Amino acid sequence: MNTKQFARALDRHGPVMAGWPETERAAAATLLAGSAEARGLLQAALALDARLQRDLPQPDAAAVARLQAGIARRIARAPLPSPPGPLPRLLALLRPAAPAGWGALATMATCALWLSLSPPRAAPEDPFGPLQTLPLAGDLF
Amino acid sequence: MPMLLTLPFARLPLEAPRCAPRPMIDPAADDAALMALAGAGDRAAFNLLVGRHGERALRLALRILGDAAEAEEVAQEAFLRAWQAAAGFDPGRARFTTWLHRIVVNLAIDRTRRRAGAPMAGLDAVAELADPGPGPEAAASAAESRAALAAALEGLPPRQRAAIALAYEQELSGAEAAAVLKVSERALEGLLRRARLLLRSRLGGQ
Repeated sequence: MNTKQFARALDRHGPVMAGWPETERAAAATLLAGSAEARGLLQAALALDARLQRDLPQPDAAAVARLQAGIARRIARAPLPSPPGPLPRLLALLRPAAPAGWGALATMATCALWLSLSPPRAAPEDPFGPLQTLPLAGDLF
Repeated sequence: MPMLLTLPFARLPLEAPRCAPRPMIDPAADDAALMALAGAGDRAAFNLLVGRHGERALRLALRILGDAAEAEEVAQEAFLRAWQAAAGFDPGRARFTTWLHRIVVNLAIDRTRRRAGAPMAGLDAVAELADPGPGPEAAASAAESRAALAAALEGLPPRQRAAIALAYEQELSGAEAAAVLKVSERALEGLLRRARLLLRSRLGGQ
């Protein structure tokens, strides 16, 4: 791992290297032991991380209480949850039939429909028929 | 009066009408069980969920929007949508928190996009949200630092801001954060990488 790759890994996984994939962590440890530039990158990443931990906004307790009271008030007036319509219920029932996703099931269904509807191609009676028109065919076919 | 009591209908009104006892909600019930009750119309069960997850929903909205009043509106709207859809919630498809956070994040991102170009209304308010430091100088310095970070976050695309908000949520794994944004873990890492690059360049040596 070089310093450029290390910088990318720092931004990708964050500076807490305990959570990195094992191979990248081992390579980064080797790089850090011998590169002051890599250690500088790690320090900068740790500083940003600490700042985000500290300075990202936090809602205050009054806002949380206001939220809970506001929702309780609105829920009290809101109609009861309505059960899902027939289509969502049908989809929920069919979901186990589409383990690879609805797209895959739709493709399979389309193929099956096409195969069942397309007229079967009549097999030529003599597969070598067209070859018999060749001047050199003679009695070979 | 004793004669009246012998009549066949006389005893009926003397007893107080009985109400079916309201089943107690177990406060330790898991989210899926509470959502099942909410889906059947139990408002108390839903309010328990609000008490359990309201703060995080509000925090996510605040970190994406950067405006406290808008964040409250978005969090309220998200819970209302969750209430309306409670009967159709399928715990087999997603955890309640993943589902709820997805609603919050999508609403916050939509609102951020709608107001694109307009300055964030609450940068100063965001700077004042956290506790002040021990002295006035420290408080001023901390407020300045928060305002600088809020301004840098404002410059990020909404999805990168959402990725940062999710990544700095305690107890939220990378897989859950990715599921909230409906991306792979690798794509989430890509969003975080670009966000950190931009933040470092905007914050410079501050």
